[in-house]
Amino acid sequence: MIRRPIQPVTALCLGILSVLLLLSGYAWLSHRQHATNPNDTTIPNWSQLKQGVVSIWRADRRGERWLVEDAKASGLRFFLGLGLGLAGSVLLGMLMGCFTPLEAFFYPPLSLLAKVPATAALAVFFVMAGTGTNMYVAMIAFGVLPTLTLTVCLAVKEFPEELQYKAATLGASHGEIIFPIIFSYVLPKLLDAVRLVIGPALVYLIAAEMVVGEVGFGYRIRLQSHRVNMAVVYPYIALLAAFGFGMDYALRWLQRVLCPWFEKFRG
Amino acid sequence: MKPPRADMALECRGLNHWFGPKRVLADITLKVRRGQFLGLVGPSGCGKSTLLRAIVGTHLPCEGQVVVYRRGAGGEGMVVAGPGRDRGIVYQQYSLFPFLTAQQNVAVGLMLDQTSLPFRCFRYFKWRQLRKAHLRQAAEFLERLKLGDAMRLYPHQMSGGMCQRVAIAQALIMAPEIILLDEPFGALDEAMREELQRMLLTLYAENTRAWQRGQLPPHTLVIVTHEINEAIYVGDRVAGLSQYWDWKKAGHDKFPGATIVYDKPAPVFEPDTPRDFEILTSQRREIRHAVFDPAACQDREEHVTYWREMGESGGEAGPA
Repeated sequence: MIRRPIQPVTALCLGILSVLLLLSGYAWLSHRQHATNPNDTTIPNWSQLKQGVVSIWRADRRGERWLVEDAKASGLRFFLGLGLGLAGSVLLGMLMGCFTPLEAFFYPPLSLLAKVPATAALAVFFVMAGTGTNMYVAMIAFGVLPTLTLTVCLAVKEFPEELQYKAATLGASHGEIIFPIIFSYVLPKLLDAVRLVIGPALVYLIAAEMVVGEVGFGYRIRLQSHRVNMAVVYPYIALLAAFGFGMDYALRWLQRVLCPWFEKFRG
Repeated sequence: MKPPRADMALECRGLNHWFGPKRVLADITLKVRRGQFLGLVGPSGCGKSTLLRAIVGTHLPCEGQVVVYRRGAGGEGMVVAGPGRDRGIVYQQYSLFPFLTAQQNVAVGLMLDQTSLPFRCFRYFKWRQLRKAHLRQAAEFLERLKLGDAMRLYPHQMSGGMCQRVAIAQALIMAPEIILLDEPFGALDEAMREELQRMLLTLYAENTRAWQRGQLPPHTLVIVTHEINEAIYVGDRVAGLSQYWDWKKAGHDKFPGATIVYDKPAPVFEPDTPRDFEILTSQRREIRHAVFDPAACQDREEHVTYWREMGESGGEAGPA
């Protein structure tokens, strides 16, 4: 019974059922709320939600579409921050995993920083990088860097010594043992680690935008929450969830394409 | 068949190794001739793997030198200072890169040896041409070892025996001066083990043909194993490393480490003929006594007679 596999169709049906249950629960809550207060906006009904979706897509008085403006701002901040954090952590993690003096030097501060939530250090980022795009980028990059670096470092250390020696006997230089040999071994684990930091990176971004943003998903959610306009807030939350899900799916697809050995290797 | 005089491939000169106060290897002197298949046996913990690591160059000995000689008459000797492409290695585990298919695993050595990272990045189209040639060469090699069907399989999709065959192909394609096998068939079942042993005998048969044509033999091999039968069957020479020797007689106050206590020729088998256990039995008994028996404690020279039996001095056979 424990861990007994099920048919893929059964798994799909169960997944759809859970989503339907969630939607039904929401519909029931909304119906109950509107029965007592027909003008309620805290749990909007389907028609209110439709109006909310239209309002975030329709151009406002300044001719700007909220969704487009917010997506552009948040997307730029998110991808720049994550990209920089990723580049830094791959470089640092690979070097730390390969060279013990570097590991000894960087490991203590990184393991300390990995325990500090970037949102708690928001004030530090305001002081250091102002309130422009740089601040968001720095916050996401430094927020994900310690955890990602340590993950890469540990993955490098898992590379079997025998394979390292084998590569050397096949004519690989030190540099070639690091890239492409060790890097190829670490890549699927790195993609897994990136999947895991997407959630925290989004938290840092939204939290910072809620506090100091003038445009972006976090700013819009805060503004509309103050007005109790949940018909706009819920679609934004749904979009964030869809974005996170899409990123996760894209990374899993990338892992399957770039590292076909890993999925099967993992079983 | 007695191999004709040929040049040396490997020489261990007075290797001593210790880990802190623990002495592991004592005065290991060993010469391996080109084309020879040397089976190295010894009890657990005697330092076989330490000796192999010293030869590979991953863990250099505390004292002494390992010298690898290049092919050709009067070949120049290179003192081992680290792992290099002149010594191939096949381990029991982690023999292959898990992220490469069998064909890519065999071709990767050619890539690493013949191209550099800047070449692969900045001369991409030239590199692609070369890559095709490498993969073609690897495919031919795998076909030769009857692994044509496994070319596109990843290591986890292959059986242990197939993995080891690919690992041997990976080492062979580089044509190193010597191939070292560290308990290569230890994790395999009996049938697969015999199949791979026959594969090694096929390689030895290639050496024999080269000798008959008056050419240098292509393969030199040291196989470390705890299986005495395997060492006798696959090797044309068996060396035994053991901690059970009369070190007091050699003038030591305390145990200096394991040393070579057995070194004799072994019968050469044809790959297609069945194993004759009768031939193996007497030598097996002798090795068991000289190498594995703690009570034996004999003089280290008593069974080290390979060069005498071959009618030559080990010191004169190779370049200085």
